[in-house]
Amino acid sequence: MESACKLGILDALSDDAIHEIVESYNGFCAATETLLNGAGDLSVGSEFVVYVHRLCKHGVESLVRDHFLRALEETFEKNGAFKFWRHFEAYGNLSEIRDDEVQEVLCKALEEISMEKQYQEKCLSMLIHALQSYKESITEGRHNSDAERVQLFSKYQFLASSVLMATLPRHFPEILHWYFKGRLEELNTIMSGEFNDDAENQDEDYINLDEKSKASNRTGQMEIDECYHQGMFSENNKLVKNIGKVVRDLRSLGFTSMTEDAYASAIFLLLKVKVHDLAGDDYRSSVLESIKLWIQAVPLQFLNALLAYLGDSISYDSVSSGVKSPLASRPSSFYPGIDTPSEGLVRWKLRLEYFAYETLQDLRIAKLFEIIVDYPDSSPAIEDLKQCLEYTGQHSKLVESFISALRYRLLTAGASTNDILHQYVSTIKALRTIDPAGVFLEAVGEPIRDYLRGRKDTIKCIVTMLTDGSGGNSNLPGNTGDSLLEELNRDEESQENIGLDDDFNTDDKQAWINAERWEPDPVEADPLKGSRNRRKVDILGMIVGIIGSKDQLVNEYRVMLAEKLLNKSDYDIDAEIRTVELLKIHFGESSMQKCEIMLNDLIDSKRTNANVKATISQLSQSQTDAELGNTALPMDILDSTIISSNFWPPIQDESLAVPQPVEQLLSDYSKRFHEIKTPRKLIWKKNLGAVKLELQFEDREVQFTVAPVHAAIIMQFQEKPSWTSKNLAAAIGVPVDVLTRRINFWISKGILAESLGEDSNEHVFTLVESMVDTSKNGGDSGSCEELLVGDEEGERSTASAEDQLHKEMTVYEKFIVGMLTNFGSMALDRIHNTLKMFCVADPPYDKTLHQLQTFLSGLVSEDKLELRDGVYFLKKQ
Amino acid sequence: MAAVNGFTETHGYQDNTPVAAANAPVKQSLPPAKTVDSQSVLKRLQSELMALMMSGDSGISAFPEEDNIFCWKGTINGSKDTVFEGTQYRLSLSFPNDYPFKPPKVKFETGCFHPNVDVYGNICLDILQDKWSSAYDVRTVLISIQSLLGEPNISSPLNTQAAQLWNNQEEYRKMVEKLYKAPTAA
Repeated sequence: MESACKLGILDALSDDAIHEIVESYNGFCAATETLLNGAGDLSVGSEFVVYVHRLCKHGVESLVRDHFLRALEETFEKNGAFKFWRHFEAYGNLSEIRDDEVQEVLCKALEEISMEKQYQEKCLSMLIHALQSYKESITEGRHNSDAERVQLFSKYQFLASSVLMATLPRHFPEILHWYFKGRLEELNTIMSGEFNDDAENQDEDYINLDEKSKASNRTGQMEIDECYHQGMFSENNKLVKNIGKVVRDLRSLGFTSMTEDAYASAIFLLLKVKVHDLAGDDYRSSVLESIKLWIQAVPLQFLNALLAYLGDSISYDSVSSGVKSPLASRPSSFYPGIDTPSEGLVRWKLRLEYFAYETLQDLRIAKLFEIIVDYPDSSPAIEDLKQCLEYTGQHSKLVESFISALRYRLLTAGASTNDILHQYVSTIKALRTIDPAGVFLEAVGEPIRDYLRGRKDTIKCIVTMLTDGSGGNSNLPGNTGDSLLEELNRDEESQENIGLDDDFNTDDKQAWINAERWEPDPVEADPLKGSRNRRKVDILGMIVGIIGSKDQLVNEYRVMLAEKLLNKSDYDIDAEIRTVELLKIHFGESSMQKCEIMLNDLIDSKRTNANVKATISQLSQSQTDAELGNTALPMDILDSTIISSNFWPPIQDESLAVPQPVEQLLSDYSKRFHEIKTPRKLIWKKNLGAVKLELQFEDREVQFTVAPVHAAIIMQFQEKPSWTSKNLAAAIGVPVDVLTRRINFWISKGILAESLGEDSNEHVFTLVESMVDTSKNGGDSGSCEELLVGDEEGERSTASAEDQLHKEMTVYEKFIVGMLTNFGSMALDRIHNTLKMFCVADPPYDKTLHQLQTFLSGLVSEDKLELRDGVYFLKKQ
Repeated sequence: MAAVNGFTETHGYQDNTPVAAANAPVKQSLPPAKTVDSQSVLKRLQSELMALMMSGDSGISAFPEEDNIFCWKGTINGSKDTVFEGTQYRLSLSFPNDYPFKPPKVKFETGCFHPNVDVYGNICLDILQDKWSSAYDVRTVLISIQSLLGEPNISSPLNTQAAQLWNNQEEYRKMVEKLYKAPTAA
């Protein structure tokens, strides 16, 4: 439109006019050239204005503008951009970047290009001024001038930045990043000095860490460091001002977003390093607070100062136009504390904190396994993690990572069941802190539970943990056993508390309180699993959950209790009573009934024992001594444990012929018992119990507490010092192989010696009378007061729960064969249901579908069953 | 047919009338009223099941159907050294509400060519009728039926053809093999 109009004007022009225009235009071009390249020489200014006016008069104002802008562009490209980039050419290879150099070069380059730009802007305003003055002269009033000015300046701004962008070398953002990184580290060094002073009293660990990080940042900045106490404040201010200037210059060149990216990434990088530094591998102290303090102290201070310097922080009370008044640096209330954080700063704070939480959380999650291993000590770390997760909500990350760590590190054949259980308990305790509702715990616990179900000794370990202070293995660290018994106690307390509440009859009130406390399940909760179990994470419940049914646990406990009770030589069962009471609270009276009866047996035994012995000694006094003979033993050496065998686990029966005097004693005892307790009779289990005996040799006396069979063996040597294995076995009424196994005890103690007899199958055992022969075992015999009842395999007095389980399974096998015989083929769940329905005898069928499946696949592998298309068949024989 | 009917009418211990027995047992044995009695019947049957499962007798077996302990399926293998060797027969047992004072109703589900078993599978066996005693149980009933296979009562047959053929054991064996169809999955 304008050009068409212009051409029209040209047609109508006279030769003179044309001549004038050409002359003026040439003059204008020359003046422009001189002006732009003049390096501050403004002397052509008046000439320039005249040409502009003249050209405008002829209506080629747009031509003037276009030419001037093009000239500006060319000059800027030549004088500005080209020179600017040349500064950075040396840093094309990033590995050569040196921090202090970058700073210097960048500042210099920015200064140069800014000067060039300012000069050009000055020239531009001159043009604008010339144009305006012409317009004023014809219309005699200002009109539209500001709009034109803004338009031209923004055009120029755009032009300059596009020139720079078009020629941007690829490594420039990297250089910016390095620059900000360097500045931030410098700032961090300064700040942390002050920060340290603040934090000194709070946390010494932290200071050490910080000192370390500071030391690494200190190189090359010694002069700042040395005087930071005095000069820090101003130093700090100066530094931020410098940075602010750089940022402002960069912005005015159109690098706004690139700059922001650069310092944001530098801040995040620094923050990450800081978090890693602070958190490290130390789980014993909470670091979250220190990190927050640091965020306040360093990056936020920096940003605050920067934003304040740039004028952005006052964005809500004056609309900032980055170009207009960049130098209006507000006197900010700078340190310490941010009085009125601007919106931008608050946003930054949130971003930084989120990033810190996330970094710490990732760090902790990656090390969660270790953290849980030293759980009670590492609770500060857990607490940190909890807060992080509350903020970030990335619980699922935790679950995934932890499960894979578990699979890799814990659930392997090399880990002992005890260790796995302890880790499981620690996991429960730790995750209970993070997630009181137990939703994530459920997910994490699942693989552990599944794995433990596959281990044979799981039940035994659990029971040991439940009852024994020292754990199953005495060679494990001492702190292992405290966990579950403690848990039992704790549970008791909490249950008592609940009981109290009930007594107060404040049901409505309680319901209201509960209702008020209600919180929705986390979104990750599996709706299928129902939420009623989640209200309280119950360690014992989760442990029992591994086994599947409490009956099995109780059974195993009963076996263990029986073992313990049978090995007692006094009647002191206080500890056992306490444990049973605790278990009763948890598992209910009825399931612990048998155990209670066992304990009552012990208590009764004590009374009956005293009674029998008292009445027997009266009798024996009335009898003549001659009748009793020399070999008779006094009754008070015998204590009996009288058990109601129906309620005890099956007891191993082994024949044993005790020496005659003892036999006599036992029969006297049982006779007396029968008299007192008619019609009850006492049947001795001679292989059970413990015998304290003292062996007298020519040169020494040794005391032992041993199993009856050991005592029976050694007593035979009272009669003659040497026995063949066959004769000895006959004398004490045990099979030869049992004898050879048991007699090893005495051989190992150096009391007996073994040699080959005339018949090569026969072993001869001889009593070792003199200490000299056994000097090599002398060390052992010094500490002979040992209870060695349970140390050999097969010496348990009761059948283990595992055996019982096997027995149960045999019953089920018969049922399964029975139903498959009559129904041909059945699917898993039908077998399950049928067993549930009809296998109601003792013990009732109480397995889970999963357990049944395992059992059935066992039968399949034994070639008893066949599985085809999801149904089981009997294998054709 | 006439012979069979005639026999039926004259037979002394006819409780298992062929026609009536075909449908009746199942209906009668539907879960009984919740009387105190039925509880004791339940217990008795459960303990019989347990005893049977644990007894480990070879060649006989029985198990209640999925939802009803009054209805059982039984399995009998033909004894060794009889013409029935290598065969397997499926039975159904249904127990009355007043068991064990009344005998269970037992019939063959698999066709059985036997003098004392008719084409509907009804069995003529004294202990299942008038000679029943509450001392018997599932196990003894099954053992009796198993031994009945090898030692039929020729004098009062339900299947006269089988009774006539019994004397010729070789031919009988062929007949058994020809008619035998192994029981399929229930």
